[in-house]
Amino acid sequence: MEQTKIQFEDRPVKLMLYPAILFMIMGMFVGVFMAFNTFLFPDYFSGEYIHFGRVRPVHVGTVTLLWLLSADIGLLYYFVPRLCGVPIWSPKIAYVSIALWWFSLVIGIGSYPWGTNFGWEYAELPDWVTLVPVKYLTTIAWILVVINMFMTIATRKYEKMYVSLWYTMGTLIWTSFTFITGSYGVNWVPEGISRVNVSFFYIHNLVGLVFTPMGLATAYYFLPKLANTPIYSHRLSMVGFWAIAFVYSWIGAHHIMHGPMSQWLQTTAVVFSMWLFIPVWTVVYNLFATLKGHWAAYVQSAPIRFLMMGNIFYLLTCIQGPLMALRNVNEITSKTDWVIGHSHISLFATFTFFAIAGIYQAIPVITKKPLWSNRLADWHFNLNLIGSVPFLLALWLGGFWQGMLWATWANGTSFAEFHNNLALLPFLDTIADMHYFWLFRGIGGIIILIANTIFVVNIFNTIVLKPAKTEVNQLQEEKVII
Amino acid sequence: MTTPSTNEPKKDNHSHHGFVHNLDKSAIFTVLGIIILFSGSIFVTLLAPRYIDPTWTTPSSSYQVQMYEVVDPNLYISSASTGSSTLQFVYHLKHNYTLLLFHEGDDLRIVAPPTLQEYITKMNEPVLKLTSRLLLLRVPQRSKDFDAIAAADKIKEAVHKDWEKEHPKWKEEELTPPNTEILELFSPETSEAFALAPTDGMIENWVEHDYTILDKTQQHPYHTSHGVVYVNNPHEYRFAHFTFNDVDEWGYDPAGETIKNIQELKSHALGFHSRAELISYGEHIYAIEGCWYCHTDQTRTLVQDVVLNGSDNYPAPPSSANEYIYQKITFPGTRRIGPDISRVGIKRPSRDWHKGHFWSPKTASEGSIMPAFKQFFDNDPRGTSKYAPGIPNHKFEAIFQYLMTKGTRITAPTQAWWLGKDPVRTKEIIEGRYSPPK
Repeated sequence: MEQTKIQFEDRPVKLMLYPAILFMIMGMFVGVFMAFNTFLFPDYFSGEYIHFGRVRPVHVGTVTLLWLLSADIGLLYYFVPRLCGVPIWSPKIAYVSIALWWFSLVIGIGSYPWGTNFGWEYAELPDWVTLVPVKYLTTIAWILVVINMFMTIATRKYEKMYVSLWYTMGTLIWTSFTFITGSYGVNWVPEGISRVNVSFFYIHNLVGLVFTPMGLATAYYFLPKLANTPIYSHRLSMVGFWAIAFVYSWIGAHHIMHGPMSQWLQTTAVVFSMWLFIPVWTVVYNLFATLKGHWAAYVQSAPIRFLMMGNIFYLLTCIQGPLMALRNVNEITSKTDWVIGHSHISLFATFTFFAIAGIYQAIPVITKKPLWSNRLADWHFNLNLIGSVPFLLALWLGGFWQGMLWATWANGTSFAEFHNNLALLPFLDTIADMHYFWLFRGIGGIIILIANTIFVVNIFNTIVLKPAKTEVNQLQEEKVII
Repeated sequence: MTTPSTNEPKKDNHSHHGFVHNLDKSAIFTVLGIIILFSGSIFVTLLAPRYIDPTWTTPSSSYQVQMYEVVDPNLYISSASTGSSTLQFVYHLKHNYTLLLFHEGDDLRIVAPPTLQEYITKMNEPVLKLTSRLLLLRVPQRSKDFDAIAAADKIKEAVHKDWEKEHPKWKEEELTPPNTEILELFSPETSEAFALAPTDGMIENWVEHDYTILDKTQQHPYHTSHGVVYVNNPHEYRFAHFTFNDVDEWGYDPAGETIKNIQELKSHALGFHSRAELISYGEHIYAIEGCWYCHTDQTRTLVQDVVLNGSDNYPAPPSSANEYIYQKITFPGTRRIGPDISRVGIKRPSRDWHKGHFWSPKTASEGSIMPAFKQFFDNDPRGTSKYAPGIPNHKFEAIFQYLMTKGTRITAPTQAWWLGKDPVRTKEIIEGRYSPPK
């Protein structure tokens, strides 16, 4: 076996993954805090630095950037060299990038409660926090990742490029453009709706062209790895790749359907949103077909369950997404909790699940020790799933219900009737109706937080403790060494 | 260890001919393909629209333009005067720029030296006489050219006589004679001045018919707009310090001292900020406080939205792109946990309401889950008061002024949607009586 001869440099992987895992539960904790302190016991802990508006971006920034994007970058450091058959091109550049990355993002995201929010969604990172140019440092850190990855690919030994490398190259380019557009470019266009348009372009592409290709790159790498079986169809994954490249960047305007955006741009966004079904079905089918005949692996391995369940959630979220772009569906679902549910199913139930699966596979390899406890990994998966159901269902059903309530204001034929509807059901009543949905969301959130705390414990023990010399572990150890 | 793609045999390639060679053709096509597809969409969806759809950059009305460009930078607001809740409004008037109207009414008469008589619009004159010549009103004074006090007394007597003629039995009917204010119009002979003028601080005086501008030549481009904002009966701003309940305060006082320059106006002691500064700061507060995570700022083209944001009698017109062109950040929003704010200037115009609401939203509107914003209030802004909790500070004024721009500036107040003069005929559309041309 050729790869065993190659000495991979895994310290960058560790330096990205370990903190990222901690930030995951920190971000989730902030989420649970908000679920209670904003929605169930509004403003119980009250004050300038702790109210919802200042804490929400901390939650979003922590789970999207400090956890998911960081974990995905860590996994890139892991599998890109392994797919290229060479160590990472420059570990030094990687260390510089990692240092800048954590330094700037921790300061940037941690500063939101003190009023540094940039004011654009998902692009809240400020240019400066006192003397620290956080946004510029983050940008540099990312560009160093791009250089390092491309040079690794360029100096690779394996001539054939596996699909994960395609997705990686895509994500390197897309993330650079998307990040620069959303964080800087928003101020390069005229004030007003031009900026809104750029912002929604960024918001959508952050998910569609950053997290999606990164998540799919990891899924396409780790599923065959974990199940020890080749990917079902390389060609199908290519179709999906080009469909993503073609479709995603056109659909930003579907975030402002019925809003003050030109109708033709809204229609364009709707049409391209429908095309989204193509990349999604290719991915979903490809991953399922890969595991066909190997379903025993699903039962035996928690990471495979994470991947496949993530795949199912991916299917769900990508059915939701295009449908929400339709004008009539959007009329009900838009501006409600449905949207929050949609963002959580994609970034949590899909791409976080993918990243977790990747970490489960990578940790034993980079630490050269088997996972500390498979039972805890099983519980980690079970609780994540058990928590996701009330969490996501509450958001969808509650959101849909609230949208339907708002739509009742439009019953009738004259303004007097409409206005009377509003008098009978004031806006605040539709907030009160959300209480039990929010309760279930909060409970689901707690379960998810517990689940991932178990994950942290498991990973921590794997890294720190000496592996127990049980028979099972010995077998696993051999497997890892193989 | 096996590689994941065991069906793809991998050949060891030891040749290193540089970056491009090693990327191989398919990889280069990938990179090029991605860049072409991506930039194509950027061109069509991000760059082209503002040239295709003029509403993205064209203002909604000349009222909107003049509010943001003429009034806001020159209307100064301070809440620092008394440490209580009263606001001071001061107009920064500029010679050959600000349009002024001196209009007599039932309770106001103006005396002026003969050279300035032409600038006074008498009570029943149908055409308003505006001027950009810098003139001001003050309490009549005696100067060497013109004895305003004598002229004022004369007018007072005449007014009184006229009134007695109209109400011959006023003593029997126990009526009180009118207390007509008489002011002197004078030229301060400077290029700028500070004035007090009656305003609600939200909607400006606006005229589009039956007016004339007396300037000999056109002094500023906005004077030729179809309709202009103007300052009505500006009094020379003078202020004085006084003591109330052992607390040092200051406020408008016709016998007090004048303000020398803009620096003095904006000094910490007086604490004035222009409304443009306040709106801009309010936008910043709206961003950093994360208001936009719960409040949308768009009335969508949906019946439920125009009804939610409408007044009792009229639906709100849906938001159009050009309402946002004077904002650095626009917050259309993705979630509506609280109500939409795009028409809040009409829905909730009361400063007192907002004070109570920001201080304690849960008590001000029952069932609300909005957090309290006590940072918009100072317990004791000047360190002089032992009680008086919750005095709004300039953060409150900023967020309030920002909110009051919402829905109030789409068209001129004479053409306002809340008067039923909705330019897009929202009411007829939602009642199915009219369908807009495509």
